[in-house]
Amino acid sequence: MNREIARVLATGMVFSMAAGLVGCGSSESGSEAVSEKTKETTEQIVLHILENDTAKSEGYLQELLDAFNAAYAEKGIQAVDANMDEYTDLAANGPYGYGPDVLYQANDKLMTYAEDKHILPLTIEDFACYEYVPEEAWDAFKMTLDGKEYYCGVPVNIQEPMLFYRTDMLPEDWEEVWDKDGNQKPDFLENWNDLYAFSQYLRETDTSANQDGQYGFMASLNNLYLSSQFIFSYGGYVFGETEDGTLNAEDIGFAAGNTAAGMSALKQMAGLMNEGCIDDTITLNRYEKLADGSYFCAVSTPDTYSLFLEKLSLHYEAEGLTEEEAKTKAKENLQMVELPSCMPANGDLSQKSEEMNEADWVDTVVMGGVNGYGISSYTKYREASVEFVNFATGYEMIKTRADMLGIAPTRSDVAKECGDTTDMIFNSLADGRIYLMPSIKAVDQIWVPTQTVMGDIAKDAFREKKGESAKYTSKENFQAAMETVNKNIYDAIYTLSE
Amino acid sequence: MKKNQTLTQMSVPVRASLIIMGLGQLCYKQWIKGLLYLSVFAGTLLYMITTGIKDIAGFFTLGTEETDPWLGTTGDDSVIMLLRGLLAFIVIAVFLVIHASNVRDILECDKKVRTGKALPGFARAVSIFFDRKFYIAALAIPVAGVLVFNVLPILFMILIAFTNYGGDIVPPKLVDWIGFDNFRKILSLAEIKDTFFRILGWNLIWAFTSTFLNYFGGLGLALLLNKKCVKGKSFWRAFPILAYAVPGFITLLAFKFLFSYGGPINYYITSNGGNAIGFLDIDAGVKAKLIGLVVNAWISIPTSMLLATGILSNMNTDLYEAASIDGATKWKQFTKITLPFVVFSTTPVLITNFIGNFNNFGIFYFLRGGLYMDGYFLASDTDLLINWLYNLSIDNNYYGIGAAVSLIIFILTSFFSLLVYVRSSAYKKEDTFR
Repeated sequence: MNREIARVLATGMVFSMAAGLVGCGSSESGSEAVSEKTKETTEQIVLHILENDTAKSEGYLQELLDAFNAAYAEKGIQAVDANMDEYTDLAANGPYGYGPDVLYQANDKLMTYAEDKHILPLTIEDFACYEYVPEEAWDAFKMTLDGKEYYCGVPVNIQEPMLFYRTDMLPEDWEEVWDKDGNQKPDFLENWNDLYAFSQYLRETDTSANQDGQYGFMASLNNLYLSSQFIFSYGGYVFGETEDGTLNAEDIGFAAGNTAAGMSALKQMAGLMNEGCIDDTITLNRYEKLADGSYFCAVSTPDTYSLFLEKLSLHYEAEGLTEEEAKTKAKENLQMVELPSCMPANGDLSQKSEEMNEADWVDTVVMGGVNGYGISSYTKYREASVEFVNFATGYEMIKTRADMLGIAPTRSDVAKECGDTTDMIFNSLADGRIYLMPSIKAVDQIWVPTQTVMGDIAKDAFREKKGESAKYTSKENFQAAMETVNKNIYDAIYTLSE
Repeated sequence: MKKNQTLTQMSVPVRASLIIMGLGQLCYKQWIKGLLYLSVFAGTLLYMITTGIKDIAGFFTLGTEETDPWLGTTGDDSVIMLLRGLLAFIVIAVFLVIHASNVRDILECDKKVRTGKALPGFARAVSIFFDRKFYIAALAIPVAGVLVFNVLPILFMILIAFTNYGGDIVPPKLVDWIGFDNFRKILSLAEIKDTFFRILGWNLIWAFTSTFLNYFGGLGLALLLNKKCVKGKSFWRAFPILAYAVPGFITLLAFKFLFSYGGPINYYITSNGGNAIGFLDIDAGVKAKLIGLVVNAWISIPTSMLLATGILSNMNTDLYEAASIDGATKWKQFTKITLPFVVFSTTPVLITNFIGNFNNFGIFYFLRGGLYMDGYFLASDTDLLINWLYNLSIDNNYYGIGAAVSLIIFILTSFFSLLVYVRSSAYKKEDTFR
């Protein structure tokens, strides 16, 4: 019995020791918590910044971080690279305490997050860049919630498809033959009918063995972003707007206006390319083919300028120039301009431009985007993040960004200073010749349906060549195809959620 | 002791343990065992009071208050609540299992005390347990692992199929239970239903054909390289192994380039004056399906070949000698000796291959992704169910519908696998080749 009592006592002692230990633990963690609090007031604020890969690889991010850290060292704010994938999913990671404090993304991506409140709304008037950035760029980051307007990003630069060509590939007689208006600019860089005519001329004079060595305009026609002019110039749009100006994803506009004419033009243009325009072949080989002269011009985005330049330099080196000479020559000859500004209103690219009146043209409208900074709703340091964005969108940093990365800034003061092309892009945005990607989540659903139909229409040009029956022979066919695009997008957005 | 005692007939320690785990054991002075049971009881009680009951309630409501990240207010996260609710049910299930063992143990103790037998000490009881029920001790940790890493995600996926999670309803918005609505949509919305059955038909043809092709391709190659007349067998065997060693998606991207308009095949066709062929474009149809089969064979045949080579090395060559003496032809020897032996040994692998091919996501995603065809709902004519599932759940965020399709795939593959397995020799004549 005594032994049993001893056992009970021993058990009791073990429990009381354990309780004591637990007590110690809690008091310890309490003191830890106190010291954490004290630390918080003195500790340095560390902001995690997510930039795009080009900004990292070209050294701009480091430049930005160094400049910011030097300027804010006294305030105890430090910015570091978030070291995450540039397309890291804030919606999946942010709520659980992961993800960046500040992120640089395209407006559609950033606003997809904003729609679910993963990005903070900002008082844009407080930013130093406010008065220099046009309203159109700010609108790319605007959203309406419960009848109230919010801005969830600060614009940095504009993206739009550009035309790349080589001046040394211009025909020798271009001023006599291809500059009918005598404005010292080739007509084929000014309107699509002349670009079509010039492409046709190059195809007809191609003397290579399989007539596969000389093309004019080349682009992946199945790519909505790179070939958007065939839709938006003809009255097409992505999503309509409600009466109060908010985007209405139920109103899908790929078949609106005269997009059937645009698709007819796309098919015509495909006829002067090779089958590479049906898939992403041209997107992959455009750098090489422009450099070796197989393509006169190709469509790409401004951030790929360095890739074209690199290939052209290598091409010149292979021709016997030194590295330095090749680089200089490549810089002189490689041109990046906006797409020709006029398209035929009836979609017939084969019509002679000199026989057309002003009313026969429509303005070329391309799809574009505005990249900018947003602040994660899950940041612990909202004010410091605002400070960072203000710094990164200031004159100095945007100028540095433009110089290092060749971007087209949304700040008017920097754009003016950067020269013709940048200024031109800036003006196109202000003049409505850039259709900004809608800033809502539903925009994710537009890519595959458009890619399918645009690829199919481009393929039609080759069906005819092979003697197969063509699918698109009338305006009704093109219209029906665009209605299918609308339907597929609607299905993707709504059918399953109803 | 009677097997079915009423509560009043039970001794006090038994009744105590029924109500509070371990209490009866403590009454019988089984201190350590009693305390262990008691701590499980106390732990579960504490868990239920602090979070378990709330988690179970949350499982049914899936949240009532939305988080507002702009205001910094923390509301309910439906997906986490679903997961925590599921975990609470698992904790209750585990508790019931332990409680059952507690009841069995106290009844046994009670029986021993009544019959005047001495109760073993804790160390002795553990030793007896390990001796008599070693399988439980050995399997406890793996089973726990399977529960956490396999069963929990599967249950979670099954439950998601009954919610409206997806589309616009993603956290921080609250998710709701919608019963069988997702299944109803798949089977009743005309377009979705048609797409589902079309894809299912092609999926079955694909799974059977590719499994057959890969299996017999590998076996044929192994038999060929086993021939005495083949010189430099190791050298030739290295080639398929090289194909096997290259990561699958790299091979698929290489094949995509090979068959693209700008790829080498079309280069040679156009260089010789022909018209480029759209091997994988929108009109490709059957061509793309055949290319998919060939590319899958390229990736999978080396595995089958290695497997068959290993099995063939165990073949009893005397059987062939005897068959030759009896006048059996080479074909007869193959169908009556080689094939049954190889098939017998590889039936489970064959089933795995079939399921793998049924759910082969990579082939058509890499070769021909990014097409929505006429007559298909957000899919193309080469998409398999798994690709459609991806289009629905990842590209278009319909997680609920995606989970419902997954569940249907799971049921189908389980059905075919079990059907094949129970009808196979490997199952029926398990010890024939021992």
